[in-house]
Amino acid sequence: MGLFEFALLSGVMYGLFYAFVGIGLNLLFGVMRVVNLAHGDLIVFGGYLAYVVENDWHIGPLWAIPISIPMGLVFGYVLYYVTMPRLRRSADTETTSLILFFGISQVLQAIATIVFGANQVTLPSLGAPVRIFGQNYSLSAVVSAAISVPALLLLYAYLYRTRLGLETRAVMADQEEALASGVRVRRVAVTAFMIGVAFAAAAGSLAMFMLGGVNPVTGSQLTVTAFTVIIIGSLGNPLGTAVGGLLYGLTASLTQAYLTEWTGMVPYVLLLMVVLLRPSGLFGKRARIA
Amino acid sequence: MRNYLAKRRMTGVLAASVLAATGLMAGSASAKTLTAKGAPSVITVGTLYASTGAFATSSLPQYAGLQFWAKEVNRAGGVYVKAYKKKIKVSIVALNDESNPATATTLYNQLLTQDNVNVLVSDFGSVLTAPAITLAKNQNKLVFDVSGTGTSFFDNGADPNVILTSLPVSSIWPKPLTSLLLQLKTKRVAILYCQNDFDGAQAQAIQGFLTKGGVTPVYFQGVPTSQTDYSTLLQSIKATNPDAVLELGYPNNDIAFLNELASTGTHFKFALTIFPGQLPALFVKDVGVKALAYTFTYAEPPTVAYNKVNIGLGTTAFQRAFAPADPSSVNFLNVAGYNAGLAVQAALQNATSLSPAGLHAGITAVSGKLQTLEGNFRINNAGAQVGELLPMGQIHPAGNRIAVKIIKPAIAAEIPMVNAKTLYPAPKG
Repeated sequence: MGLFEFALLSGVMYGLFYAFVGIGLNLLFGVMRVVNLAHGDLIVFGGYLAYVVENDWHIGPLWAIPISIPMGLVFGYVLYYVTMPRLRRSADTETTSLILFFGISQVLQAIATIVFGANQVTLPSLGAPVRIFGQNYSLSAVVSAAISVPALLLLYAYLYRTRLGLETRAVMADQEEALASGVRVRRVAVTAFMIGVAFAAAAGSLAMFMLGGVNPVTGSQLTVTAFTVIIIGSLGNPLGTAVGGLLYGLTASLTQAYLTEWTGMVPYVLLLMVVLLRPSGLFGKRARIA
Repeated sequence: MRNYLAKRRMTGVLAASVLAATGLMAGSASAKTLTAKGAPSVITVGTLYASTGAFATSSLPQYAGLQFWAKEVNRAGGVYVKAYKKKIKVSIVALNDESNPATATTLYNQLLTQDNVNVLVSDFGSVLTAPAITLAKNQNKLVFDVSGTGTSFFDNGADPNVILTSLPVSSIWPKPLTSLLLQLKTKRVAILYCQNDFDGAQAQAIQGFLTKGGVTPVYFQGVPTSQTDYSTLLQSIKATNPDAVLELGYPNNDIAFLNELASTGTHFKFALTIFPGQLPALFVKDVGVKALAYTFTYAEPPTVAYNKVNIGLGTTAFQRAFAPADPSSVNFLNVAGYNAGLAVQAALQNATSLSPAGLHAGITAVSGKLQTLEGNFRINNAGAQVGELLPMGQIHPAGNRIAVKIIKPAIAAEIPMVNAKTLYPAPKG
């Protein structure tokens, strides 16, 4: 197996991770039209939880995932009722949400600095490398992909196989029509908020390995990456996020292999191309403007 | 339809936000003037530090070293200022740039134009020093640059605005490394560097020295300084079948690179990273002794000890005074911060005025004569440090710590310090 095949497989693994990183953000935006600039910071807190689980509880960092999900659900519930009712009363919810969540992001970063210090925290590798098609891949990347896939499928099942999921999609399509049709919009919103935060916290455990560790400001870059992924896939479409993540991961990986000097730019060129050629994202619905 | 339009509008807004946020990582500069008046009651030393972000791990210990210098000087009644023929106490005015060059630009400007500090000392590294250099050039000020070694900082000819106090300028820093590589007869050298002044300049210098020695690097690529995913990059490097791999980055890059080596079971005959020699405790915590074992790095004070000094404390005395409970916890950046203070002290002791030109003349007068805990302080006409050259080191496991063994001196004075033979090909950790 050559470099190209390695880059492809590595890109898929990282792409699945990036999809996991972005999916919670997209769910929040899709349902509530709020721009959660603190998304990356929530992921970072998931990473810190993995660090605590490994170093203080000594039970293995991956246990942070099942622990982070209920914690994320509860935190999401609280955060929803602290922020959303007031946000809803503002004249421009989207813009106000940008400011509000920027503030929350700064608070979370300050808390992280106070509690965990300014330095990056890291975790040792999960174990010996995995040999696939004659090449060594880090176990962390393989495990990350193996966790991201069922997580994405779980969200798919929620959206397409449950009544609440159906209502969620109705709200994503048109909130006012959904409300008129008897959809429990508030219940859908609070559930989406809780799931979004829980997904972010769970992704944080994987970020510890995929990003080499976290520090208090890692979240800012993660938020940028998450937005890039969901814009490529299309805002408000969680399934598009999976494809957006894969495209982002593949682009980054192939660029590292063949256009190394351009590594930092090419994913954003992809973003620009999508915005210019298909403004609603790859999975956005076309609409006739009449 | 309204939903669709709203979504489309937000797509544009968010795309712009993403690009704007990315763009904010670059800095900009504005210019104003500063004037110093009369004999000050205290000498104000303005500096920046990063409490968070990518450079916090290096910036905070450097700042702690500078603070220690101020405390020591004040305990002795202040620093002698030749311009006023008396000792004056020192006060540090420190602002937090959070590792952000754009914030650093604003804060350096604040130090110069609002706080009117007497002396400006830059934050750690080339990325956070660059805004200070730009401002200094625009405003004709002088910067005491602690650890920003990028070659482009020293291009103002006979009218330099910068004094590099620690570490050799990037264009000469890697000389002992390339000398070692040629001595080991490595023919296939891979160089992966981060795209910033510090690493880029080192990479260019290494490439130049190697080419002169008849070795053309088989891999020479730059990646963003924010790079943390090295999986495909490592595969690309492996494909070139290198005799030596040089990864030139900042601490977070080096940590990610070394962790990727370990997690993929990749072993190179010669793998070099820069920062384990500066921050050994951090690397032991984040990478582990096994992954660091027998990799190469620059050996730096306090590993390289200079105890015969004519200003300040010698290396061993500094370690004991700085961290009495655990002298071995002192790292290079503590030393560098303290050494910057010593350079400021020497400038003040010899300057006939506190103007940038006066301070520059003051420090230039003692260039080559100062023996500090980092060795012989010598600057060239452009303000670049050319005296404190670093020997090459190889990391040996030492229980749950590491020992950076000195394997190749950079200058004659370091020959007696050599304490290990080069293990090449490096054994597996």
